[in-house]
Amino acid sequence: MTSPHEYLELTSLLAPSLITAAATGVAASVIGVFVLLRREALVALAMPHTVAVGAAIGLRMGWPGLPPALGAVLIAVLLLARAKRRGTGHWLLPALYVAGLSLSFLIIANSGQHVAELQALFTGIDVAVSPAQAWLAAPVLLAAALACAVLWRRWLLLSQAPAMAEVAGLRTGRWELGFLCLLALVLLVGTNALGALMVIAMLFLPAAAVLPWARRVPTALAGAAGLSLLFLLGGLVLSVEWNLPLSQSVGGVGFVAMIVLHLAARVCG
Amino acid sequence: MLIELDGALFGYGPRAVVRIHRLALAAGRCLGVFGPNGAGKSTLVRGLAGLLPPMEGAVRRQRQDLRFGYLPQHRAIDPHWPMTGFDAASLAVSAARPLGWIGSEAAGRVRESMRLMGVEPLASHPFAKLSGGQQQRLLLAGALATAPEILILDEPTEGLDVRSRQALLDLLHAQNRRGLCTVMISHAVEDLLYVADDIAWLHPCEDTRQPTEVEIISSDALRERVTKARRAS
Repeated sequence: MTSPHEYLELTSLLAPSLITAAATGVAASVIGVFVLLRREALVALAMPHTVAVGAAIGLRMGWPGLPPALGAVLIAVLLLARAKRRGTGHWLLPALYVAGLSLSFLIIANSGQHVAELQALFTGIDVAVSPAQAWLAAPVLLAAALACAVLWRRWLLLSQAPAMAEVAGLRTGRWELGFLCLLALVLLVGTNALGALMVIAMLFLPAAAVLPWARRVPTALAGAAGLSLLFLLGGLVLSVEWNLPLSQSVGGVGFVAMIVLHLAARVCG
Repeated sequence: MLIELDGALFGYGPRAVVRIHRLALAAGRCLGVFGPNGAGKSTLVRGLAGLLPPMEGAVRRQRQDLRFGYLPQHRAIDPHWPMTGFDAASLAVSAARPLGWIGSEAAGRVRESMRLMGVEPLASHPFAKLSGGQQQRLLLAGALATAPEILILDEPTEGLDVRSRQALLDLLHAQNRRGLCTVMISHAVEDLLYVADDIAWLHPCEDTRQPTEVEIISSDALRERVTKARRAS
């Protein structure tokens, strides 16, 4: 059993990674509530794979990973917005998912160490965020979470009564694009810093765990953000005590908690 | 007259969907929109609301800033969203706000409208657990809180039991008497006969490349046609 003093030392050592993970947890869980309610889970799954294509290009060319990843995500967002308008998202999303997974490894194939780096991007096995990266990622992630949360009535309206929004003069297409951009931003920054698994786990598990208990959207958002931090704490303890990878530990804790909370919600009616 | 259409043709891109020769919407009147699925009812309503410019003809408005309201079907609301009766009633007001935020003044208007509709006690109830009639009255209260001059109703009685349907139609009738102009899309002939003054009856052309023609008839004429059709069958 690790002593509190050792935990303190470890926390200060891992501070940039933990701060980024906490910010990713809050941002992804807040947006995740809307992703689940809007039934756009496949968008959130496909997007990190397009990030991987950009990252693979960066690795292959010896560039920093973020700019090509940003380019790949921008292309994906535009394609998705177009597909949504035309009602063709049902085939584009799985195609992006498969293409991202395949192309990223094809781009990087036979280049030794880079293959392992790309695998780490998907699995988040090696979570090591530099202080500079944390200073950049955490404020961006928290700002995205805040923007998404304060616009909750807009997302509610667009999902529940898009015709009402149109009659009121809203440009619904632009708002939909705005939501997609917020989602893409969180996925891009989170995946780039911590890997795809941590972001996807934080996107779905806190939201899925809290929704059976929430009576209003703001409650769901606060609950999901709080749960994401608890999952991170639980995952950290699991990771330290049994020497397990952090992202997988957070995912495991979150999954078990989600099942327990769903069962409890069913029992409590 | 609030809106007048004169030889208006509405459609999307190069495709003409619905043509209407003459129609006038006035305060205190109810226009029923009746026709088969896919005939162009929504296109006609989008044209009336100014969301589609006419491809041909003219659309004259009393003012450019006419206030439109919209009442969705209660069954179109996704019950998985966690929201209370108040949240549902606030949808229309939030639509008119730049970021969807509702201040205390707007919230007060929603509550007052809910009180007038007799649904204020449902404000904190989960919307998904209310009956269809209660849900529809909440949505109507919300739509009226924006003080619209023209209210568009999309199948408002669909899925309601007989009592809720009658109660809703009575509320709409009362709103018409207070000067609200309503445009009600409905397949329910009895509902249209009860509240509508005029009916826009859509007749799709056999040649699907041609636009649907809209015939404007009085509700008495609709009653006669329905009676005749029932006798014949």
